[in-house]
Amino acid sequence: MADALHTLSAAELGRRLAAGTLTSRALCEALIARYQAVNDKVGAFTHLDQADVLAQADASDGRRKAGQGRGPLEGIPVAIKDNIAVKGQPLTCSSKMLASLVSPYDSHVAERLRAAGAILYGRLNMDEFAMGSSTENSAIRKTFNPWDLARIPGGSSGGSAAALAAGLVPLSLGSDTGGSIRQPASHCGVVGLKPTYGLISRFGLVAFASSLDQIGPMARSIEDCELLLNALASADARDMTCFGPSDRALTPAGEAKKLRIGIPKGFLGKGVAPEVAAAVNAAVEFYRAQGCAISEVELPSADLAVPTYYVVATAEASSNLGRYDGVRYGHRSASAGTPVEMMTASRSEGFGPEVKRRILLGTFVLSAGYADAYYVRALRARAKIRAEYLAALAGVDVLLTPTVPTPAFKVGEKASDPLQLYLEDIFTIPANLAGLPAISVPCGKSGHLPVGFHLVGAPLSEAKLLAAGRLFEAAHGFAHQQAAL
Amino acid sequence: MAEGFDIDHLAKLARLSLTAEEKALYSSQLNQILGHFQALAEADLPATIDDARVVNEAALRSDEPGPVLGADAVTRIAPASRDGQISVPRVVDDES
Repeated sequence: MADALHTLSAAELGRRLAAGTLTSRALCEALIARYQAVNDKVGAFTHLDQADVLAQADASDGRRKAGQGRGPLEGIPVAIKDNIAVKGQPLTCSSKMLASLVSPYDSHVAERLRAAGAILYGRLNMDEFAMGSSTENSAIRKTFNPWDLARIPGGSSGGSAAALAAGLVPLSLGSDTGGSIRQPASHCGVVGLKPTYGLISRFGLVAFASSLDQIGPMARSIEDCELLLNALASADARDMTCFGPSDRALTPAGEAKKLRIGIPKGFLGKGVAPEVAAAVNAAVEFYRAQGCAISEVELPSADLAVPTYYVVATAEASSNLGRYDGVRYGHRSASAGTPVEMMTASRSEGFGPEVKRRILLGTFVLSAGYADAYYVRALRARAKIRAEYLAALAGVDVLLTPTVPTPAFKVGEKASDPLQLYLEDIFTIPANLAGLPAISVPCGKSGHLPVGFHLVGAPLSEAKLLAAGRLFEAAHGFAHQQAAL
Repeated sequence: MAEGFDIDHLAKLARLSLTAEEKALYSSQLNQILGHFQALAEADLPATIDDARVVNEAALRSDEPGPVLGADAVTRIAPASRDGQISVPRVVDDES
């Protein structure tokens, strides 16, 4: 049985652990063996403290034996993107700037996972400071798509998605500022959910663009994604935007077959690859056949989403990343002279090219003489986009589009063209701008490469998104899929 | 909208030191990206930004002391420290 443990869902592993037919130690040993066999090929993890994992597993087994199990995640490994703090583990954001940083504290989500008995299992690769859509911007290593090792896994939570598709771990955490959970989930054939802004505390998430950032669950099935979401949502005064658990978001929704599904007009024509359009259209027809009401909706300002996002996100990033000055933590240049020279040299040595590009862009759109033309106009565009989405969602339950216009591209293919890479996020960005929950659900293949569809709902409609995903998943063979490695 | 783009000034504001090659590359790429932002200049937009906020409540926590990391934990992750304090290059010149 041990050799197949990496193929099982978190829910099934939980059932075996509860029944006493499996121990957390045996599970973790099997996953460590899997890590040793395939992580060098895939590059999903940047760090795994095997002794710590086994100590956590033994503690979990001890709790269970003593009748003190903490719930459905007891003994289940959850791997964590390297921008979410776990006490005593590296917190590098895949950047030279934080290469030697070991977190002195737990993020709120790490506290929640510990309280649920989960095993905090290693650090996952990402684009540096979550800036990117391919995980090629990591300063530590590249991550490859398990379905085709010559291709990118998506990003910035590329390690989180690739680890699931490679059977390295049953559950993972990502963060999503413009699509960084959903886009890699689509490219790797897994489920990724960005919750409503404020549902999950960001305390301990390294800030990129604070009005957009959210932590979210990733898994190989809707059931597992829901399991993890329920463990994470909890009130936390340390994130002033976090309003805590919501029965509306988390209580299982009613009949998915009665959902009203809106298809944004013109979205399938926006540079969408024919195979992606075909898979998404097939999903639409599936829902229609199930009895869902399908209608076309207008989102006239959709074309403003990408420029709006890249103004708002880079403006906030240039401010948030001002803290990396070589003084309190992170890289300090050895060539330091005056304090300003030390700060400038530390930042120039510590940040990679994409981070520098975004800091420069954000600095420009906030600078005197340009802030009104760029930043303030972007905020006004954001208000318009949000209003249009909320209006559309007043008439339907969810909006359905592709998650990404094209399947995973080859490593290096878009590395010299940042604008082309930014357009990867065209379907995912509006949910962040409007603070809405959204999910990517696997729905087919383009050749050998996974394709996902994307559902966006009104605030706190996570349960509806999961119900819609569950209905599709139950009738198709894309849950629990893993690449052959 | 992109007129007046000055890479040297931006780099100074951002506290980044760029090589000549980086300046040329970023200038070209930022101009291309800013060209894409032209859509914002041409759009018919609402006058207010109030609706841009995704959380409307001004939720501020009470201003009370809470748990802190402590000097040991803070200096352990600092690039340089001495006697329980973070050390930095000299900020103020000697009076003489």
